[in-house]
Amino acid sequence: MQLEANYGYIALLLIVAIIFAASLIIIPFILSRLGIIPRKPDPVKTSTYECGMETVGKSWVQFNFRYYFYALLFVLFDIETVFLYPWAVHFKQLKLFGLVEMFIFIFVLAIGFVYAWRKGALEWK
Amino acid sequence: MNFSPELLAPEIAVAFFAVVVIVLDLFLERKGTLAVVSLAGLAVAAGLTIARWGADPDTTFNSMLVVDQFALFFKLLFLGVAALIILASADYVSKFRRFQGEYYALVLFATVGMMLMASTAELVSIYISLELASISLYVLAGFLKSPESSEAGLKYLLLGAVSSAVLLFGMAFVFGVTGETHLGQIGDSIRNMGLDKLWDSPALLMGIVFLVAGFGFKIACVPFQMWVPDVYEGAPTPVTAFLSVASKAAGFAVIMRVFYTAFGQATALSTDWGMLFAVLGVASMTVGNVVAIAQTNIKRMLGYSSIAQAGYLMVGLAAIGYAPIGDILGRSGVIFFLASYAVTNLGAFIAIIAISNKVDSDLIDDYSGMARRAPLLSLALALCLISLIGLPPTAGFIAKIYIFNSAVQHDLMWLVVIAVLNSVVSAYYYLRVVKVMYLGEPASEEGVPSSAALRTALSISLLGVLFFGILPRYLLNIAESAVKMLT
Repeated sequence: MQLEANYGYIALLLIVAIIFAASLIIIPFILSRLGIIPRKPDPVKTSTYECGMETVGKSWVQFNFRYYFYALLFVLFDIETVFLYPWAVHFKQLKLFGLVEMFIFIFVLAIGFVYAWRKGALEWK
Repeated sequence: MNFSPELLAPEIAVAFFAVVVIVLDLFLERKGTLAVVSLAGLAVAAGLTIARWGADPDTTFNSMLVVDQFALFFKLLFLGVAALIILASADYVSKFRRFQGEYYALVLFATVGMMLMASTAELVSIYISLELASISLYVLAGFLKSPESSEAGLKYLLLGAVSSAVLLFGMAFVFGVTGETHLGQIGDSIRNMGLDKLWDSPALLMGIVFLVAGFGFKIACVPFQMWVPDVYEGAPTPVTAFLSVASKAAGFAVIMRVFYTAFGQATALSTDWGMLFAVLGVASMTVGNVVAIAQTNIKRMLGYSSIAQAGYLMVGLAAIGYAPIGDILGRSGVIFFLASYAVTNLGAFIAIIAISNKVDSDLIDDYSGMARRAPLLSLALALCLISLIGLPPTAGFIAKIYIFNSAVQHDLMWLVVIAVLNSVVSAYYYLRVVKVMYLGEPASEEGVPSSAALRTALSISLLGVLFFGILPRYLLNIAESAVKMLT
């Protein structure tokens, strides 16, 4: 019973969310039809961003795909560091087991790095 | 925490050799050695697996991983299949200008994933090992840069990701109801719930249905088979063989462990999913066989044929669902069928690799008169196709008898009748290839050359087809001992 009651709350939330979202579209529409909303457009009000910068050039900018290589390699070393910190904090409890484990981890990462290097991912050409 | 990595030695060995292959590929000019190193890795792993054979079941990593006879059997099966695939693709891969090392390494990583799938007994690790196998296979399916191969890779990736999500959703439901991720504990929890409470929780049934859908994608059964023809056609032929054999077997291994261990204890529940598998099996057999008739491309035809074979295997799963606990006929039947299907389908695909290497086409019409151009290859292909129909003296015959027998024992006569009718339908399209090869006019008189490695792989699979067909007792004993320990 408890389970169904909990799901009931979720269903309620879902219904409220749908009504809320729909009313945000429908109410202004009805109000503008009734002429209650004043229609006074000016350049600032109709601009895409009321605050912020106008876009310069097209928004479909193409990045050189080599940036992605660097992003991936960054992730490689980032993850390594993320794992090294907690390991260093608990180094004494983990003893030799932790040391060996971490060396295996770094070894596998190093292979990834060697792979990237030999395949020329580090060269900008 | 019990931590004994030595139980994982075969997997570690294969993964280690995969890394070695990658590193060697970076510094080595002669790429032929890569296949040898990969084979060495598989041999080491097989040795380590056989060394555990017959030992008592043991668990490690907080009983996430189980090393029992069942797992060992499947590990050996995957290692064998991977070895044959590597032997058969040596020629094929040597034509690649780049990424030869990656090909072998990905095959090995996929093998590790499948080996783990066979020995995991916990939902989260099942998911992770399944992803390890799947992601490697997604890349392999799109390995050629041709549009077809890219399409195959992308299609497999997208549909595979959806199916993984469905699977994970099902696992979440099962976890939500039982509060456990370990299969044995899920089983206990369901047994303790009692029957009336079981029917009170549709979430569990929904979870089970979602799991069937997620695993159904892996084993390519109807209605989760939409990816099969396109991926099988576009992927490199050795990869297609790997997909149709190893990936399917891994799916069945996981299904057997999950459904037997977690949902097999309560009989009321197990007949439910037994019936579900029976119905899906009928759909798979019928759709696979009927659509295969219309195919002109042999890889597509074998794709539909593999859907139909999944249907026959699901007859065995249905029998497991109906079987009282402790009955081993259904489970050993599925295992026997998987092993004989593996050698048969591999044999067929290896012959196709050799022939299509020469004629550069996968159309059945281009196999016209092949018996005069390549008598031995044609004989091998014909034998494998006969085994796929299920005629004596081949492995397929015994496998079908055994699996149908298990279904008859559990009052599933109607299912067996449908399966046998389907086998009759399947004879048409399998024998059509044989007819084209033996009675058609050859387009040219040129022979079909094949490398020693490919011939070795083909002879091994043919030996398997004939040996399991004529002397099935040995494999049956192994299959029975593999399931006895399954808990």
